Amino acid sequence: MSEQPRISRRKFVVGGGAGVAGLAGAAALGWNAGKDEAPASADGLPAPVRLPFHGTHQTGITSHAPAAALMASFNLVADNRDEVRAVFKALTEEFDTLMSGTPVPDRGEHYPPLDTGSLGTNPPPADLTLTLAIGASMFDDRFGLAARKPRELFTMTKLANDRLDQTRCHGDLLVNISGDSPDVCLFALRQVMRRTRANLVLKWMVEGFNRREAPKPGKAQVRNLLGFKDGTANLDPSSDALMGEHVWVAQGDGEPAWAVGGSYQAVRIIRMLVEQWDRAQLGEQERIIGRVKASGAPLGEQDETDDPDYEDDPRGDRIPLDAHIRLANPRTKATEKNKILRRGFSYSRGFDPAGRLDQGLAFVSFQRSLDDGFLAVQDRLSGEPLEEYIRAEGGGYFFAFPGVQRKGAYLGQALLA
Amino acid sequence: MPSTTTRRLAAVAIAAGLLMAGCAKDDGSATRTDCSSGSSAAGGSSAAGGSSAAGGASADCGTGISKDDVAGSTDDPLVQKAVDGYQTYVEEQVNGLVTDTKVFTDAVRAGDVEAAKAAYPTSRQRWERIEPIAALIGDTDGAVDSRAEDGVKDTESPEVTGWHQLEYDLWVKGDIADSKDLADGLDDELQKLQAGLPDLKITPLAVAKGASELIEEVSEGKITGEEDRYSHTDLWDLNANVEGAKEATTLLQPAIKKADPDLAKKLDTAFVEADEALAPYKDGNGWKSYEDVSDSDRDALKAKFSALAEMLGDVPGALKLS
Ligand code: HEM
Repeated sequence: MSEQPRISRRKFVVGGGAGVAGLAGAAALGWNAGKDEAPASADGLPAPVRLPFHGTHQTGITSHAPAAALMASFNLVADNRDEVRAVFKALTEEFDTLMSGTPVPDRGEHYPPLDTGSLGTNPPPADLTLTLAIGASMFDDRFGLAARKPRELFTMTKLANDRLDQTRCHGDLLVNISGDSPDVCLFALRQVMRRTRANLVLKWMVEGFNRREAPKPGKAQVRNLLGFKDGTANLDPSSDALMGEHVWVAQGDGEPAWAVGGSYQAVRIIRMLVEQWDRAQLGEQERIIGRVKASGAPLGEQDETDDPDYEDDPRGDRIPLDAHIRLANPRTKATEKNKILRRGFSYSRGFDPAGRLDQGLAFVSFQRSLDDGFLAVQDRLSGEPLEEYIRAEGGGYFFAFPGVQRKGAYLGQALLA
Repeated sequence: MPSTTTRRLAAVAIAAGLLMAGCAKDDGSATRTDCSSGSSAAGGSSAAGGSSAAGGASADCGTGISKDDVAGSTDDPLVQKAVDGYQTYVEEQVNGLVTDTKVFTDAVRAGDVEAAKAAYPTSRQRWERIEPIAALIGDTDGAVDSRAEDGVKDTESPEVTGWHQLEYDLWVKGDIADSKDLADGLDDELQKLQAGLPDLKITPLAVAKGASELIEEVSEGKITGEEDRYSHTDLWDLNANVEGAKEATTLLQPAIKKADPDLAKKLDTAFVEADEALAPYKDGNGWKSYEDVSDSDRDALKAKFSALAEMLGDVPGALKLS
């Protein structure tokens, strides 16, 4: 009953005929977004492609764990709904242009060039995605949208272990960008900002990365900065059934009609106290997470993809009852509805005044219900031993729009109609 | 404040020696330039990290005009008219600046703190209207408008001269008994600026760039409240930047209307919106303290001025200026 469809059955070709592999969760190499299969590069990683902008859902929610990513949160300066509409249209056009790799026109030597040029004249395929979400503040009294607020959306409040820095929280709009390298993401950000300067004022941003290893059957590719494999038991984003069950808002959910096909996005900028963590015994680290550090297997099991089998360990002798994975997903029938799609990335932002590295996880989860998803999981995690080594410093709750299905339509169109 | 951007605004054909003087102060050790502030902000503490709003000022130290642009000229009579008009405007401003500033420095010399405080923002108006151009003459910008870099040079360092040192004496120290030399120095420098005027020959590109760099000035220092951090009179400076940019743009508008009517219209609207965004903070003939500007209004100002900067960036293209 607690069996998880943890492994993607999706098959793909690895270069050189090395074979066929199925990958778990966030590690799945995302040909789940309707793009063509791509040949692998020399290091065994699939070659980057152009991901489609148009679709039922925004592509960047279910594409594979990005090698590079950033989130930029903006305050929206607009006097009325028409101005908001113009901004959403401009963002839609820019996202489409960037994701499709459309080169910008040459305006000659007297004008500033229309793009930054940092990717050369023809932007190469780079797994680029841009995804737009909005915060609860969009539903305040400015644009007359209060009655259309997704019913579970609210401004993130402080939790027990948080040290929230208000200058790194919330925002009217959240632009998620991911790609195969940091310069690609920064290029996209600069183009988006150029286009929308009259209305979007940057509030905070976080940039980061995921280590990607050559795919092996049934293994997560990513490790986070605590050194543990991340994404092993994540929902498989290539499974339409799982996404429909846990990620996309559906008709009948009691949500406003415009939100159907969209998803709640929880963002938590979680600092890791890495120096302290690096001094913790391996055994303690593994008991805190509930998995073997090297292999990613649940404690007492062999393989990364093995079931942690909590029924067989009711007192937590093998996997402590307060281990991160056990609290996050007790794998009972009752907690089935709490499953979330994680799509975070690691970040590093230098060091603090005490000389400690300022690193962490830009945690992102998408879910059909904020209450049943992130909030329920976070609630169970409250007080977990991992908290000694982490603290949330920023983030916010957002709602990612449904996809744009055809040219001429735009993100948020139904919300503003 | 002196910025690399303004220092690079070399599109003014002035004596080569003056140009070199403008570059020579690039050592910038005692003064704050936006390049140095950018790198220091990135240099470590999380509070100053580029990912927070505070660190977000994105001074592009690579912009501005190079010396190659100095020899610009135009065949367009409308543009030529704008250039002549702007030349006159700059001269008027510099001449008025010397007198305005004397009201301020006289008050300092007389030891009258209140009068000096009142004259401080007004004395800077004409400077702020033409700063990118004026900053090219001699070493004026560094001498009159620099500010101590926090933690690097003491605000009371003798190397820091000009308005902001006097601002510090007035608002922080509250004692101007020893400030007479600074006041004299400010007058001297501005007289040197005035004396350099005959060498100033403004090019078409300098008019266009002058406008957009004034708006850059707004984004670089004023919008963050850094420029007048003791007196909080930033809105005076900010408005003066806008006035200067508006003057240059208005002069160019007949030519822009002909070349790109759509851009001309957008510019008109953008200046009106910039004024509207500032209007709530007018206070009699002056401006309220920058501390009174709410966060959401700071956002609105950022947005309006960034939009304006983008549009002004297209003016040289529309007019095919080089
Ligand atoms: C810095 C903070 C965090 C770290 C280092 C971390 C680390 C991990 C690791 C190593 C795993 C096991 C591998 C995997 O299945 O992906 C995991 C699983 C998981 N984490 Fe976290 N996590 C963090 C924060 C969170 C937060 C804030 C949530 C949600 C509120 C969360 C929810 C989950 C879930 C649902 C699983 C899968 C559990 C399962 O199905 O077995 N994590 N996390």
